[in-house]
Amino acid sequence: MADYDELENEQQMDCALDLMRRLPPQNVEENLVTLLEILPEMTEDLLSSIDQPLKIRQDSKSGKEYLICDYNRDGDSYRSPWTNEYDPPLADGSMPSERLRKLEMAANEAFDTYKELYYEGGVSSVYLWDMDDAFAGVVLIKKVNDGTTRSKGSWDSIHVVEVLEKGRQARYKLTSTVMLYTVASAARGDRLNEINLSGSLTRQDERDLPAEDSGAHIVNIGRMVEDMEFKMRNALQEVYFGKTHDIVNGLRSAADLSEARNRERLQRDLFGQLKSRNE
Amino acid sequence: MSADDRIAKAASLLLHSPPGEVDDVFNDIRGIVNDDEALQEQIEPVLAESNMQQLLVVAVPGKESKVLLTPYNQIDENRYLDPNTNTVFSFDHLRRIGSDPEEYTENMSDENEELRAELQKALEQYVQSHFKDGAVSVFVHEGSVVSCIVSNKFSPGNFWNGSWRAVWSFNPGSNQLNGSIKVRVHYFEDGNVQLDTQSDFSRDVEAGGDVANKVAKLIGQSEAEFQQGINDGFRQLSEKTFKGLRRTLPVTRNKIDWEKIANYKIGGELANAEN
Repeated sequence: MADYDELENEQQMDCALDLMRRLPPQNVEENLVTLLEILPEMTEDLLSSIDQPLKIRQDSKSGKEYLICDYNRDGDSYRSPWTNEYDPPLADGSMPSERLRKLEMAANEAFDTYKELYYEGGVSSVYLWDMDDAFAGVVLIKKVNDGTTRSKGSWDSIHVVEVLEKGRQARYKLTSTVMLYTVASAARGDRLNEINLSGSLTRQDERDLPAEDSGAHIVNIGRMVEDMEFKMRNALQEVYFGKTHDIVNGLRSAADLSEARNRERLQRDLFGQLKSRNE
Repeated sequence: MSADDRIAKAASLLLHSPPGEVDDVFNDIRGIVNDDEALQEQIEPVLAESNMQQLLVVAVPGKESKVLLTPYNQIDENRYLDPNTNTVFSFDHLRRIGSDPEEYTENMSDENEELRAELQKALEQYVQSHFKDGAVSVFVHEGSVVSCIVSNKFSPGNFWNGSWRAVWSFNPGSNQLNGSIKVRVHYFEDGNVQLDTQSDFSRDVEAGGDVANKVAKLIGQSEAEFQQGINDGFRQLSEKTFKGLRRTLPVTRNKIDWEKIANYKIGGELANAEN
């Protein structure tokens, strides 16, 4: 019977994931809540496999903001990357090893600078955790524009990286997800048109790179994340949004199609006449 | 939440389906619920609502005519009217086929029938001029003349689907034209990107003269304006919105010198740790 249940759960999970790839990314949070109500017994699996927009918290000690997700959660508490403390406080919450915590602090500082240079605001957080013969981490960035100048939107980056150290080399496996939400409004005559264009993409990259000391990990992960975000931002703007725009103008032709049809017919006739004259 | 409530919740997700993917979403819901019998009991009305929401274009049984499924030509639970052929037929919302056509003449005596037929003709011409795969049906509904326009392009093999849907209601008493246009596009090659935009219109139609042509012209103008608005929105997105969220490159126009950032910070950290 256990096998049957497992199969059944697998099918439900596959369908839930396919469904989330089809339902509007604009409503990912509401849709996830609905799925959790339908499949309460699969809560853990659903939460860990469906990305949702990041949430911001404030570190009560340092006053700095940080991002929360499954990776810095223990029970109902979240660990701040700035003070390494759980909120609400947790006596024996899981912590990275001393070596990893040092690297985590440095990574948080480095990505804070990265975030300022590219996002000119927003919040970033890096969390690391130990694994057998390896370590892993997540780089999170969130930027929200609340739309004072007729453009409203939010960007969420989730970069999960697995680092396998092999002597003076390391293998980095990166899985990146970007969730974008944008609302643009344009005035036309006496009316305001609002368009909502949103989406999520996931991409992967894997590289073997020299890593002589801990600092090299930050350099390597930093470059990989920077390259990946560059590519994904370009893909969203040029490919995804460009294509979507073309599709809209394919649904309705701004120009009168009957004129185009007439022109075509005229050209065909003319071509036919020329051809018969040459024969 | 009871099992029935959970199934109802799952079934309601069908109404959020992107254009052209109702079957896929239905199959996902079926796989999630995993109880066909219980789902069948709840899905019927949702399927009907979904088909009408999508302004489904259906072949009228026994006639060389097509008509849109909408709340405005629904005669009873699953029977619909095609006013152009005076036919009422049953519709199976799951299999999406019509049957049992019957002649229906009740609408013929309606005072707005003449205007309806004229507007149908005028809008057919408009739809032919601006939509490659468009369809239009005009109905008389509760004293108004309601025009429904739909244009779908489905290309799942190329990972995209899109729809343009508009409903225009003209009240001959007040000469008011109210309308709503909705465009949805789903582009899903290695991702899930969706455009969702809707606009509502309210226009006064000058009384007298060729009312049908005046209404058709206003509809055409409004739809053109809406399309221009979408193009403006896209321009704004790429020029402003994107840049405001994440720059392509830092102000220096160079990628980041990670050696510098990391060494500086790590050096600082280590010095602190040693103190």
